[in-house]
Amino acid sequence: MKTLPTLREKKRYIAFEINSGMAIIRQELVREISNSIISLFGDKGASEINPSLMSFEGRFGILRCAREKTNETRAGLACINNIHGILVSIHVLGISGTIKGATEKFIQQSLVKESEPEKRIKK
Amino acid sequence: MSKYDSKFYDFFTHPDSPELMAAGAKKYGYSGIVVTNLKANEGIILPDDFSIYKGVEIQAKSSRIREEIKKHRDSNIITIVRGGEEDINRASVESDGLDILLQPSEFNNVLAKAASDNSIAIGLNLGLLIRLRGDARVRELKNMRIILKHARKYKLKMILTSDSSSVYDLRSPREMVALSSLFGMTPFEAIDAMSITPENILRRKSPDYIKEGIEII
Repeated sequence: MKTLPTLREKKRYIAFEINSGMAIIRQELVREISNSIISLFGDKGASEINPSLMSFEGRFGILRCAREKTNETRAGLACINNIHGILVSIHVLGISGTIKGATEKFIQQSLVKESEPEKRIKK
Repeated sequence: MSKYDSKFYDFFTHPDSPELMAAGAKKYGYSGIVVTNLKANEGIILPDDFSIYKGVEIQAKSSRIREEIKKHRDSNIITIVRGGEEDINRASVESDGLDILLQPSEFNNVLAKAASDNSIAIGLNLGLLIRLRGDARVRELKNMRIILKHARKYKLKMILTSDSSSVYDLRSPREMVALSSLFGMTPFEAIDAMSITPENILRRKSPDYIKEGIEII
């Protein structure tokens, strides 16, 4: 059943980038994110943050969390330093209210930014 | 102007490859790092608007620490002591010329007063929060709360460092702010700890500097 708009949970979408030496498998990333948040804030805190990975592909991903808990989620992501033995660091690109906003504003932007220096060399 | 527009520094790194570290730090939005195991400054290609400063981590017995600090006192090398037991902390805060005492355990009012007299900055090692889990992390968080309480009371300078040995240990300034909020630090305090305090230390170490309040016009 559809919930009333006023009773819906308010959420934010965090666009992030993973720096790692090797490729990361989605399931392991999901497990590590929830492990990290649970170990940092406990079961109660994790239920309030309500994290869920919306999409993940190679380097970039989008994580959903509660609107009031973006700072906590950021801390939880920062505490991840290895996934299944691979050293990683997660860099938050930005926070948006919609998936579309997070993708267009942060993930596509950072891809454009990376390709810019090559253009300069061609000139 | 956003509060994240200032220049950020990470004051305690010991990477195997300074070049990779510099590129990573630049990408994360830092404008300078201090490397404690730098062998030679030549031959390192740095990104634009980025600088590497030389630092040294002093490891000695509590009785020898004062002499070790004195050796580097008049150079432009940034001196860091990794805090630990009471006697090491005591010896290092009481010696004039030290820049940073990193993560002292069992911090108390006597140490805080001495550190404030000798203008020594207290470093908070956020790398521990990233790498440790469980009981050990709880202990460090508790320790950081105590340091923060004393630092506020005695108006000590604080510094946030990542204690990173590879680019994967590094975190961007906003993440550092989020991590520091775990033990009750406000965003403004955290930003000052990454921009204003490091800049002051660098100014103090520059060759033009004579003494606090005196400058050549």
